[in-house]
Amino acid sequence: MSSNEAETEDAGSIVLWNDAHPGPDMISTRTLGFWLYMLTDAMLFASIFTAYAILWHNNAGGPGAEQVVHLVPAFVETALVFASVFAFGIAMAALKRGRQGSVVRWIGVAFLLGAGFLGMEIHEFAALAQQGIVPERSGFLSSYYTLVLTHGLHMLFGLLWMAVMVAQVLRQGFTEGVVYRLLNLRIFWHFQALIWVFIFTFVYLQGKL
Amino acid sequence: MLVHLQGPWSPLIGRLSLHQIPYHNPIILGAFAFAVAIGLALFAGVTYTRSWRYLWREWLPSVDHKKIGVMYILVGLVMMFRGFIDAVMIRTQQLMAVGPKSAGHLEALHGYIPPFHFDQIYSSHGTIMLIFAVTPILVGLMNIVVPLQIGARDMAYPYLNALGLWLTTAGAALVMLSLYLGDFSHDGWIGLTPLTELPYSPGVGVDYWLWAIQIGSVGTTLGAINIIATIIKMRAPGMKWLRMPVFTWCAMATNLIVISAFPVLAGALFLLALDRYLGTHFYTAALGGNVMLYTDLFWVWGHPEVYFLVLPAFGIMSEVIPTFSRKPLFGYTTMVLAALGISGVSWSVWMHHFFVMGAGPDVIAFFSMSSMAVGIFTGVKVFNWAFTMYRGRLRFDTPMLWAIGALSFLFIGGLTGMMLAMPAIDYQVHNSVFLIAHFHSWLMTISFAALGGISYWFPKVFGFKLDEASGKRVVWFWIAGAIIVFTPMYILGFMGMTRRLDYVSHSSWYPLLVAEQVGIGLFCVAAYYQFKQLYVSIRDRHSNRAEADAWGSTRTLEWMTHSPVPFYNFAVIPQIHARDEWAWRKERGLTRLVPDRFQDIHLPKNTYVPAVLGAVAFMFGFAMVWRIWWLAACALLALIGVVVWRSFHKDTGYVITAAEVERMERAYLEPEPDAIGEEAPVGEPAAGVVASTRMPSRQSVGG
Amino acid sequence: MSHQQPNPLDHPEVRLASTRGYLTGFLLSLALMGLSFGLVATHALSQFYGRVAISTIALLGVLAQTHFLFHLDWSETQRWHTLGFWLTVPLLVLLLGLSIWMFHSLDARAVMSGMG
Repeated sequence: MSSNEAETEDAGSIVLWNDAHPGPDMISTRTLGFWLYMLTDAMLFASIFTAYAILWHNNAGGPGAEQVVHLVPAFVETALVFASVFAFGIAMAALKRGRQGSVVRWIGVAFLLGAGFLGMEIHEFAALAQQGIVPERSGFLSSYYTLVLTHGLHMLFGLLWMAVMVAQVLRQGFTEGVVYRLLNLRIFWHFQALIWVFIFTFVYLQGKL
Repeated sequence: MLVHLQGPWSPLIGRLSLHQIPYHNPIILGAFAFAVAIGLALFAGVTYTRSWRYLWREWLPSVDHKKIGVMYILVGLVMMFRGFIDAVMIRTQQLMAVGPKSAGHLEALHGYIPPFHFDQIYSSHGTIMLIFAVTPILVGLMNIVVPLQIGARDMAYPYLNALGLWLTTAGAALVMLSLYLGDFSHDGWIGLTPLTELPYSPGVGVDYWLWAIQIGSVGTTLGAINIIATIIKMRAPGMKWLRMPVFTWCAMATNLIVISAFPVLAGALFLLALDRYLGTHFYTAALGGNVMLYTDLFWVWGHPEVYFLVLPAFGIMSEVIPTFSRKPLFGYTTMVLAALGISGVSWSVWMHHFFVMGAGPDVIAFFSMSSMAVGIFTGVKVFNWAFTMYRGRLRFDTPMLWAIGALSFLFIGGLTGMMLAMPAIDYQVHNSVFLIAHFHSWLMTISFAALGGISYWFPKVFGFKLDEASGKRVVWFWIAGAIIVFTPMYILGFMGMTRRLDYVSHSSWYPLLVAEQVGIGLFCVAAYYQFKQLYVSIRDRHSNRAEADAWGSTRTLEWMTHSPVPFYNFAVIPQIHARDEWAWRKERGLTRLVPDRFQDIHLPKNTYVPAVLGAVAFMFGFAMVWRIWWLAACALLALIGVVVWRSFHKDTGYVITAAEVERMERAYLEPEPDAIGEEAPVGEPAAGVVASTRMPSRQSVGG
Repeated sequence: MSHQQPNPLDHPEVRLASTRGYLTGFLLSLALMGLSFGLVATHALSQFYGRVAISTIALLGVLAQTHFLFHLDWSETQRWHTLGFWLTVPLLVLLLGLSIWMFHSLDARAVMSGMG
């Protein structure tokens, strides 16, 4: 029965209706859909990256990447993102063992590290804005702000989602719905680290090259 | 505020003011009166048939893919009619405004529409037809048919499905509102920069256009994720990949385009919105913007978009032609590979929309070659359809006429496309009406296939056929109209007529424009017959009852259901044995639709949340257009809040017991009383798409 | 839909999590980014080779993360995720690569090419 050709029939034994068919499992159906969404998010980031690549040199006489990016804070931010992702990973390992308290605690750690990242980022941009280095100054600055802050906005949504998940875990325990949402959040959060690799490399590091 | 806004702005109502209502424009006042009249007629009709409760409980909160599909198609057809009126207005203006001696009426120097309004009309014509007419119709058809063709009970994400519908409707509502409050965009459906930047388009028009498309596109993207996940995960046992019908394969290929390309449009429009709202410099002419960047990003989406429209059309043709040739589709595997190939290669051709931009010959040559390469796959399909018809026993029912009409326009559109793929030719005719005629030939293919699909699957969804006589008249008048409008247009393109002209300076072009007007007149006759067909069909629905195998020679799984399809689709999930499963069973006399044993059926509950989210999304779009910041913030928080709140819901499904399923199914086995001209017999289970007053009591409406 | 209600925690995707895997992924990603950081901060390479180096390292970082964090392999659980990922990557390359090539060509030829 491995070919796509029609099956040879034995008239008495053709099964017309499969009433034992269990159907797809809900969790993997949900994570597949969310992964597809994540790929659309990748394309969205790609379009903003394209804008950055085209506008990168357009500083209109204003400050360029060299003046605007600071490598050490960026590396600290990198460490914070990766650590937050790692903490969430430990939460997922705790999920495997069904340890509710552990899951909640490690999501909390991930939340704090992520919030730390956002705090640093907001501080970075506030400092720039105070010096008059604002997105309306040039095409380069528009795309720099937008690319980095779009990632930041995703991180913010992730933090909100973490808070919601903690509430759901505490109220409902590990139901099917809670579990697939945790799996989706894992995908979402890990993805922010993936995007950050590109931002760190092609915005911050490339800015200083 | 970071940007300089022309006109008043207040914190409470943003840019809204009474001046934004076009009291003085008689055309718009007429349109308003027409809309009010239709609204009143609908209100009266629903009240007279006492259907308020029915619509409120069964349709508005529905998560059933069939009902959602029907609603998508309704939105699409309504918007198509609006877009058609725009087209008639364009044609009439271009006829009346030929030469310096042409008379001016109603504030126009020539013709009857001043340039300021003419620009809005062609912009809304394009935006509506592509995004809010054809897309919803095709998405609606995919929604209805794909789960049935793979033997599933519903889509993978029914709630998300409904959300996609209501987001699309919110986008359409924004476009319609722009007619009566403010302006629509004057900058074409493409919206090239820097014209769409705030200094050159200071009004709200571009904002309406931008938010309508953004909100609608989120709906389309969610729908695409849904269909792909459904096809991967929800196929019936035995429905292997290479046993799926070609329409489902085309649905898969086309939605792969959506998930890859639509986010790029979202990005392009997002950056434009930043320019217009925050004064950034992505696409501006100064301070480091790059005016071509938008063009690049837009067409990265724009070209795959047209393949997104055409692939479902190819899928429909691949279903209709075998059924009415009474032969299996020729070259199944190459059809599948061609669909996937189109979906892939369409990602490398986009620059052919701006050959004239000024890039070097190496860049242009690459895109020219890939544009020609993608035609190969379409050619494969054309030959396969031709070989399907060859030595078939053809029947020329309305769907088949639509399909053959689509095929004919495909030739013209495809060949002119290959011409345009050559930069040397494109340099001559870029943005002339030759281009317009080229892509309208393709849009004829797509709309013919869409209408063909509607008339083909209508009996399956509603249980009765559409009237054949008036339907055939629609086809012929539409085909004739299209030929007579677009042939002169190709000629005018060669003669140098550019697109989007509100005033035509060459009097020598007048005869051809008269010919085009005759053509649009034929379109109007086709529209009349279309309305007549709907009226006659509904009036005569009891004498045109359709059986499960409505056309007699259908082959694919969706025909292996009762007509109209019960809300649970299949009483028991079928076991699949072959490609064209229904044809396989018919050949072996296994045509019984009612199984012997039944099982409990789990279905999702209806919910009002998607409609609420759609309404809130509309409010968000409205608030952003008019720059009412407090309202926008509230709407955004409400969207997030409702989504979070709903995620806490645990009980979103319900069960129909095996006994209830058996009762409903057995009713189909009772002999039907002679019911010509009478109301539906009491014994008939009213559990199809249209009449579902017999829903089991447990189908409560969840949150 | 299944009626038996199996324990969600037994689902294969839940079982994919592994502390060791995540730790390896974390340390590897951080080390790779640290290497890039070091190369750039110390101006160890010329501009051209610097770009090649950080791009390669970024690519390695992505591969490390797809393996250790996303568990993208061809097993039955992850097959479709992996396929979707690898079909998306060429599109990202096309979008960025062809656009950059296009604008590079345009800038070389045109006077008003958007260079601010």
